[in-house]
This record gives sequence, structure tokens and C-alpha cells, in this order.
Amino acid sequence: MVSIITERAEMPLSEARIDADEFARLRRENLARWPTGAEVDLDEAAEYHRNLPQHKQLGWVMRRAVAEGRCLVQPRGGFGTFELQLELMTTLDREGLADIVPTTTDSYTRNERWEQAAKGIEESKKAGRSMLNGMPLVNYGPKVARQLNQAIDKPSIVLSGTSMPKLTSEIGIAGGYSGYLGSGIAYTVSYTKEVPIEVGIRNYQYLDRLASEYMAKGVELHRRQPGFLTGTNIPPSIAIITCVLDALMAAAQGVRNYGLEMGQTMHLIQDAAAIACCRELCQEYLAKRGYTDVFTPITSLHWMGAWPQDEASCQTMVAYGGTLAAIGGAASVTTKSVHEAFGIPTPAANAEGLRTTRMAVYLARHIRLDGLPEMEREKDLIRREVRAVIDKVLEMGDGDVVVGSVRAFAAGVLDIPWSPNRYVKSNILPARDVDGYLRILSPGAMPFPKDVLEVHEESLRRRAEAEGRAYDMDLAVDSVYEMSEPLRKLLPDQFTRLAAE
Amino acid sequence: MKTLVTGVIGSDTHIVGNRILSMALEKAGYKVVGLGALTPAEDFVKAAIETDADAVMVSSLYGQGELDVRGFRDLFIEAGLGDIMIYIGGNLVVGKQQWGDVERRFLAMGFDRAFPPGTRTEIVIDTLARDFAARAAGKRIADSP
Repeated sequence: MVSIITERAEMPLSEARIDADEFARLRRENLARWPTGAEVDLDEAAEYHRNLPQHKQLGWVMRRAVAEGRCLVQPRGGFGTFELQLELMTTLDREGLADIVPTTTDSYTRNERWEQAAKGIEESKKAGRSMLNGMPLVNYGPKVARQLNQAIDKPSIVLSGTSMPKLTSEIGIAGGYSGYLGSGIAYTVSYTKEVPIEVGIRNYQYLDRLASEYMAKGVELHRRQPGFLTGTNIPPSIAIITCVLDALMAAAQGVRNYGLEMGQTMHLIQDAAAIACCRELCQEYLAKRGYTDVFTPITSLHWMGAWPQDEASCQTMVAYGGTLAAIGGAASVTTKSVHEAFGIPTPAANAEGLRTTRMAVYLARHIRLDGLPEMEREKDLIRREVRAVIDKVLEMGDGDVVVGSVRAFAAGVLDIPWSPNRYVKSNILPARDVDGYLRILSPGAMPFPKDVLEVHEESLRRRAEAEGRAYDMDLAVDSVYEMSEPLRKLLPDQFTRLAAE
Repeated sequence: MKTLVTGVIGSDTHIVGNRILSMALEKAGYKVVGLGALTPAEDFVKAAIETDADAVMVSSLYGQGELDVRGFRDLFIEAGLGDIMIYIGGNLVVGKQQWGDVERRFLAMGFDRAFPPGTRTEIVIDTLARDFAARAAGKRIADSP
């Protein structure tokens, strides 16, 4: 007997927009995976978003920020129960003066382990404190999410570090969140071990296609790419390469409001150059591919590596992070707090980080570095690094950005430092140079121009020389720890000690 | 040569510190079986059996370690490795809590040592050497230095 039920073949991997029938089928399957999926009604949700006041729609708010030259301030944050999350979001809104209110999901949710998340909710209620590191948004569902969003007077964004955003995004957007962070390349290479790059990309094609479905119904959501990657020392060009590729993929699905995030290097000039180049290069490649109407605001992120335990040192990094974002001309900055070395901050500490940053943004609001020779030199370097790699990736995909990206990771042409993902070579190794810039110690197989690499090597060799040490991998390892080192080690307070060492 | 199993437990992807620790342990003369990020509790047990490991070093940085390690020692007892030395380190709970309380909680769960956030590799290597020496002398772990 011939079965009339045939497995539908998966669509071939490509950047092409998912067609309407296929997308409808994918949505039906997706929403059936957990009971709260049944609460999602796209038409009703789109109407809910259309009726939100503009100042609660992140797509609109990001456009206003850029138009007015503002740098908005946004924290991260999520707790394991509705009550704790409500308190957090209202505190960040009112005490922290957050311009954008976040909901970070917990790590079980991110890995689609909803049964485990359910247990985490119960354990949190029992313990009277959050046992989860974020909000289990899927378990609570869109109706409860709307209660959270109705309690604040700002736009909100879902922060969910995962390569599996399909159900969480459906629930979150239907729940009134107008912003959604995450992308196929960046999150797959930094948050997963076993997920192949193409699977992560397909999952985000779904989310971007969903955003474009909302747009067809008159709702411009803000999608955003997490260029911070593995949260270590990411040289700007590496981040920007993933920004450009993820942006091209999102645009192909129909997204027109797409933010890019850049983790701070903690070097004033390099960060300003990075923000400027990210904006410029994303627009350059979008235009080359015919997308002339994509809005691409840049978000600068407080230091994403290890933080010191000393709260005074942390406070400085928070404030300096506001300065870096404002001078760099970022449309928004995402903050940390003095609790960063110990994990997730209390609502009060989180709100304090926001106000510290906000004051720094205010103080730096008039200052720009454009035209400074060091800045222009750095921008030139970044442009040459990014273009060499992107052009190669597009060539490898015969013009298809998705195919090219997957092939490029397999070949090591695309590479990410310290990646947990087994499909990433992780041979590229960054380190801080003699002048405090992040440079490339070892490029792996990434096709950077030879003369550019010579600039990197020369400045790293000068650091080794200045510190009287070998030019080797330890330069990279020490750079990972650097910011979290005790202040006395970073800047000794006794010349005698310095002489004795 | 002693064999150590290292890895980041649960749904946690923070691999950098764990990889640097693994590199330092190798340099210190240990054979390291690195399981990487996102490692289920059962995989630590499997690896310990397969490699006849002398100790298991668990990392957790995302706050949910407290949930992930429920019954961790029992898994080793069930596998007949009840006495194996087990360390844990990182940001083990959600939020900034008193380290003394956190340490007691994890020792009560059967870990031989728990290390606070920001512990440097030298400290771990030094403690490990003293604990292996204590084991050889018939004690469970070394006294505080």
C-alpha cells in the first residue's frame, strides 16, 4: 500500500523569502509545540500593536532616536516568575528611566526546554527568589506578557540568546513586545554547541519572515542583531562582518527596521570607529544588493567580557560605557551594573546602572571624533578587513548570502573567537595591542589583506616587547581576563612594587 | 598522569573561562577531557567512566547551576563512582549572594570544592594538587592551607 502521507521535503537552503504557503505551514507546526502557542492570533496581535501609542513601539522609537541624535539607554533583565518580572520592569521604567524595557528569557526557554522551565517557575515560587536566570515567556504565554507590557510606559524588547527563537518570538510579539533581539549567525555561533549554522539561520529566517508579516499588517517591529558574539575581545571587523551578513539575510525576508549591536572594546577611538563603520558597511552592502530602505540603527553594549569584583571599578566601566556609546554616535546603549561580576543584578542595582549611564550620555552628547587622524586610520583598517571577508563569502555562495555564509564557516573563511559551536573553527584569536586596540593575533583562515594583518602583528609585537614577554597565545588569554583584574594589578599604586616585579 | 573531566553544565554556553582553565590544567600536567559548553549532567558521568577520570570539574556561569546540579553526586554514586573528586566553580546562583552561604549549599550537595566567581586558574591547580596528595594519604580533601 502506498502511503498518501508524504514527508514534505525541506526547502533548499537559500536567502529567498519563505513563500506564503510554506510559512503558514511552518507557523502551524511551530505554534502547536506548546499549549500557549494556541493563544497566538496574528491578525489580533497586529491590531494590538497598531493600537499601541507610538512611544511604546520600538520601531518608531529607534527611528526618533536617530532623527534626534539621541542615545537611548536600555538594560537587560529577566526573572523566573511573573511577579518578580513585573517588579523588575516597573523599577527599570520608573527608577531607572529606561528608554527601552527588556525581558531576558531564562536559559531553559532559550533551549526550548519548557518542561524544565515550568519546574524552575515552581522552584522559584517555593524558594521566594528567582531560580531561573530569566523570564520563561513561553510558559506564561502572550496574555500574561501583555500584562507586563501594560504595566510600563516604554517600548519593550525580548532578549533571548538562542538559535531557536521560533516559538518564543511568536509568543513575545503577540504579547506586545515590539523589539526582538537575535540573529541566525551571531546567536548560533555564540550560544550553541551542536546546532549547525544553517539550522540557526533557517530559524531566524522564520522570525524575520514573521516580522515582515507584521509589517504587511501595518506594524513595524524593531529586529536587532547581537553583534557581541561570544562576549570576549571581539575586534570590530569580526562583529561587523556578522552584522552585514545577518542584515542581508533579514532584508531578504522583508525586514526594514534592523538594529546592529557592537560590544564595546573599551577603547574610545576604536569604539567610535566601529560604530561608524558598522552603520556605513551595512548600508553599503544592503544598497549593493538593492535594499535601499532598511533602517539600521547601531546599539553599543557595555563591556561584554568578565567584570571586576570591585564595585567602584564596575561603576566606572558603566559610566565609561555610556561615554563610549554617546561619543560613538550610537542610537542606544545596553547597560550592565556593579553586580556584573556576580551574575544577575537586583532591580535596584540594574536601575542604578541605567542612571549612571544616562548621566554619562548627557555629558558626552556634544562630542564627536570624526576627522581625528587616529579615528580615520582605524575606520580605514576596519573597512578593508570587512570588505575582504564579505566579498569572499558572497563569492563562495554564488551570490546567495545564506549559502555563502554556511560554506564560509565550514572553510574557516568566517570564524569567531572562543566559539562553543563545533561548526566554527575558532582559530582566530584576538588580543589587545600596545595602544589598547583589539587586534588579531592569529587570523585562522580568514582572508584579511596581508598588509592589514601586518599592522595588527606589528602593534601586538610592540606590546610583547613593552611587557618583556613572548609573542604568543598568552597575549590573547591575558586579554580575556584583563578587565576583571584587581585595580592594583592593572595600575600599581607603588613604584617600588613596580620596580621589584 | 591524572585525568580530569571538564565542562560547562546544563543550558549554559559560557565556554571561555572553562576553556582557559582546561588549557591551564593541561599545561600543569593533567590529561583533560573537555566536554565544552551545554553539557548535560549525565555526560560528565559517562565521560568519567569512559576515561577512568580522577576528578570532575564543573563550570557554571549563568546562575542556573543550582538547578542543574540537583542530584549530581547521586549520578556518580549510581554509576559506582561515588568517591570521585568533584569541583564546581563560577557564578553558581542567581544574583549576588554571600559566598559563604553559596559554598555551604554546594558542599552539602556533595561537591568537594566550590569556587567563587573570578577564581584564577593558579588557585584551582594548587588546590587540586593538595587534594590529590590528601587523597593519596587516605583523606577526602586537604585541610585549608
